Amino acid sequence: MDITLFLQQFLNGLSIGSAYAIFALGYTLIFSILGIINFAHGAIFTLGAYFTYALIGGAFGFSGLLANAALPVQLPFALALILGSTLAGFVGVAVERFAFRPLRRKGSDSLLTVVSSLGVAVVIVNVIQYLVGAESYTFPANIYGNLPASFNFGTVEKPVPIRSIQVVIFCVSVTILTILTYLINRTKYGKAMQAVAEDSTTASLLGINSDRFIVWTFFISSFIAGLAGSLVGSSVSIRPTFGIEFGLKGLAVIVLGGLGSIPGAVLGGFVIGLVEAFVPADYSGYKDAVAFGILFMMLLIRPQGLLGRRFVQKV
Amino acid sequence: MAGFFATYGNLIVLMVLGAMLGLSLYLPLMTGQLSLASPGFYALGGYIAAILSTKVFITNSSLFPIPLLLLEMLIAGAVCGLLGILVGIPALRLRGIYLAIATIAFVEVLRVISLNLDITGGAVGIFGIPQPFQTAIEYLWIAVPLLIISMFFLYRLERIRVGRAFAAIREDELAADAMGINPTYYKVLAFTLGAILAGIVGAISAHFLNTWNARQGTFDASIIYLTFVLIGGSKTFLGPVLGGMVFTALPEMLRAIADPEITGLQLPTAIAQFLQDGRLIIFGLLIVIGTIFFPQGLVTPDLFKRRRVRNNK
Repeated sequence: MDITLFLQQFLNGLSIGSAYAIFALGYTLIFSILGIINFAHGAIFTLGAYFTYALIGGAFGFSGLLANAALPVQLPFALALILGSTLAGFVGVAVERFAFRPLRRKGSDSLLTVVSSLGVAVVIVNVIQYLVGAESYTFPANIYGNLPASFNFGTVEKPVPIRSIQVVIFCVSVTILTILTYLINRTKYGKAMQAVAEDSTTASLLGINSDRFIVWTFFISSFIAGLAGSLVGSSVSIRPTFGIEFGLKGLAVIVLGGLGSIPGAVLGGFVIGLVEAFVPADYSGYKDAVAFGILFMMLLIRPQGLLGRRFVQKV
Repeated sequence: MAGFFATYGNLIVLMVLGAMLGLSLYLPLMTGQLSLASPGFYALGGYIAAILSTKVFITNSSLFPIPLLLLEMLIAGAVCGLLGILVGIPALRLRGIYLAIATIAFVEVLRVISLNLDITGGAVGIFGIPQPFQTAIEYLWIAVPLLIISMFFLYRLERIRVGRAFAAIREDELAADAMGINPTYYKVLAFTLGAILAGIVGAISAHFLNTWNARQGTFDASIIYLTFVLIGGSKTFLGPVLGGMVFTALPEMLRAIADPEITGLQLPTAIAQFLQDGRLIIFGLLIVIGTIFFPQGLVTPDLFKRRRVRNNK
């Protein structure tokens, strides 16, 4: 493999890896605070993409209840992105309120909460399909305004073109990662959240309103999911199920990094993104199996993941 | 009656197969292990039957011989059982959500492999799988005895040493280990039994559906089978059987309710359309509502116990 091709694959891997990383962070935040995997996360990722698509004035197709509908407004992409992600965040809060909190109140088995989140995922995906149909939609090409279609990271003789959408994904993801790391480690909110994650009963004895922090965590994680969904969706195309597939990859990412570990989710995201980018073109059909193969091997060799804490079961 | 069977024959067979798929997920759950691997073994069993009947056992008769079908079921069960042991031994060291994720990964890897191999027909799948019967309803001759055998097997299993060991591991693995039960052995056993059942059902389904492709073993299927078990009831084998039947029939039932020619009800168009096209939304809502309000499932062992207690008083 010559150096330009290597560089191109490497940069593309970094870009998709950064999207995996912020998406997996949402899983991790909820896992660290509730000890469960939120399978609705992938569905909210899809929902965010559809919200953003609708807000930039994208039209919907011929099937579904909202056939041929389009919003009268056409927001610029950046604004639609933030607004769409915020809407996704509110959906996340509603999911917490109606599908998670009742189970938490009853002290149900955590596997039941996982099943409930699967139910939510089924509802969201099918509501989307019911409203706007199962066909895929592509974001218009001009959403980035004056940005060129691709950036050249090489020299003039040996060009390494990277699509500008990939550059945008990488920049936004790194910004989100930086803000979140700051938020969790350096602010009062983050400290309180860590306390709730460690032991919610003790945290509430210390005057922390656990429920409020859980709601905030759901909002943040769903907001990020919506953001990741809109960005990834604008680089490929959106279908009602595309988030579920992405969500399953996200599982591979968090297990690889270590469940509940924030640096682990970031590391896992980049590792999976890069490994996928270097799957030879001849075997590209097997690309989707790579992440799951890594996941399976990792669970067998080191279930706590690269950076996770090992739990010892005590009687 | 003949008309009824002609219309609903397909659905009845699917309900029986659904009940068995529920049981295949219930088996590992008997030891408290949430495994979502059933669709993978189901797909594998189906591929084995599809490949054998279209490439190996080529017959000239118009109907596929039933002994060969039984042989395929046997082979599918054996291969899935072996793979179950191979995957189960390392995977069942994991617990809870880790095991669930590992089995999801297993199903996805199998799905991607079947999408890319030539022998499985790639994305198109395998077509024209020969039929052993004239009509769909006749598949009950195979499916119903198999269901009865599995149910009897599980009825006995829950009452012998092995089943008691399963229950002990489900309630408290460490305590069971301390009492001299080898948790790994029993967990792998339960997982393998589930794999064998899923493989056999897959072999029947491949013939029944006439075509087989990678869409048969997916994450969606895992969720649906899990619903069979959890809403049906995860503490007795009757739960998954009932859940499998009801939830397989549910989409058709909703469609029937929406059809004024069947019920005679003239529902408003919006509601009728929602019942038809929004079936899966209702399905998802039922999962959420079921886990919140019926955490034990609809069929619980208490249903049978309560009467006895009353008699004693």
